[in-house]
Amino acid sequence: MPSRLTVQEHPGDQLCEPSPISYLTKTAAEAGLIWENWDDLFVVYQPSSAETHVFNETTGSILECLGESALSADELKNQTEAALGVSQSELDDTDFAFALQRLEELGLIERLDDPSAAQ
Amino acid sequence: MIVGDLSRREFGTRLAGDGLRLQFGPFNLCIRSNLDSFASLAHRLYTPYPLLDEETLSDFHVEIRSPRGLHRWFRRQACFGVDGQTPFAPYTVEHAFPALEWGINWCVATRSHHLLMLHSGTVERNGQAILFPASPGDGKSTLCTALAHSGWRLLSDEFGLVRPEDGMLLPLPRLIPLKNESIEVIRRFRPEATIGPSFLDTRKGTVAHVRPPLESIRRAQEPARPRWLIFPRWVAGAPFALEAMPKSQAFLMVASNAFNYDVLDETAFRLVSEIVRSCDCYSLVYSDLNEAIPALDELCNTMAG
Repeated sequence: MPSRLTVQEHPGDQLCEPSPISYLTKTAAEAGLIWENWDDLFVVYQPSSAETHVFNETTGSILECLGESALSADELKNQTEAALGVSQSELDDTDFAFALQRLEELGLIERLDDPSAAQ
Repeated sequence: MIVGDLSRREFGTRLAGDGLRLQFGPFNLCIRSNLDSFASLAHRLYTPYPLLDEETLSDFHVEIRSPRGLHRWFRRQACFGVDGQTPFAPYTVEHAFPALEWGINWCVATRSHHLLMLHSGTVERNGQAILFPASPGDGKSTLCTALAHSGWRLLSDEFGLVRPEDGMLLPLPRLIPLKNESIEVIRRFRPEATIGPSFLDTRKGTVAHVRPPLESIRRAQEPARPRWLIFPRWVAGAPFALEAMPKSQAFLMVASNAFNYDVLDETAFRLVSEIVRSCDCYSLVYSDLNEAIPALDELCNTMAG
């Protein structure tokens, strides 16, 4: 597999602790993403890193739900659940935290102390 | 003018002199050799390939020759060279022909980044192409050889060359190096196929080269549009199975089988996406060409109809 092709794995037993700072926003890198949506997966090209990612529905929906303004983690989870068509609190906390962690590692979202500082 | 228009003597003189200029699909090559055994076989197997005049610029200057210096007196060896460099250890002189053929493929795979290069067999019929992306040993060369001798046009048994400007597939109908059991499989399946001698104990086992049908070589400048992505796997004794594959999985398998996906970055992503979007995607498991070829014919006829 090319080194710049990354596939999202299930968190499994990994512990994904939510950060105490809870406002999230998209980064400038997110704006340049090129999306393809097949089956229940998103294949996404990130020009800023020249990487191709494969996101599951949860991760793709998180990015779609993050608009121009910052959201708290709880608000984002609620909106993601609505976008996925599942009821409140049905989205597993570990899966959600894992998706956020991955998006942060890729430089596509960032956490803010002050939500008014969002781009 | 084609190689067959040259006498064996003139062919050998060009190889040993300024070089023989040949056209293989989108690539112009200048080939040199001072090995008589190589010249004899090349004259026979390259017969229908177009010759270029001496003024034509060559993409690669390749050679297969005995080593220079004292070495040549101790061992009978053949060295592959490209543009004055010798990237590989010498081969035994008996393996000079497959060494040059591999060397040319290596040049294409490492130096043709103006194209997206998928590791894939490719055949065409009625203007629509099947791509067979696969790893070595999955049977794509055997399948391509069988299809090329069953009414399909061979584009390549090894490369899916995608032109970035329009996503069309460029033909590269070079000799097909069959390995080990595949040689006998094709001899039985199409006894009329032109197959060169078997080279024993090469770095890839026993190898014999099949010359593509003349029609494929004559139409080497006609691109084709991708229509099907079929991921083949030869499994001894397995029942035939052709099953739809999710496009997300197809994308990953095509991208991870490409020679230069990482090099072309966004261009590669857009091209692979377009291919996956426009193709029907299948996985194929086969053990018997007499089952596989009619099934692929039927797939093509159904979709065309």
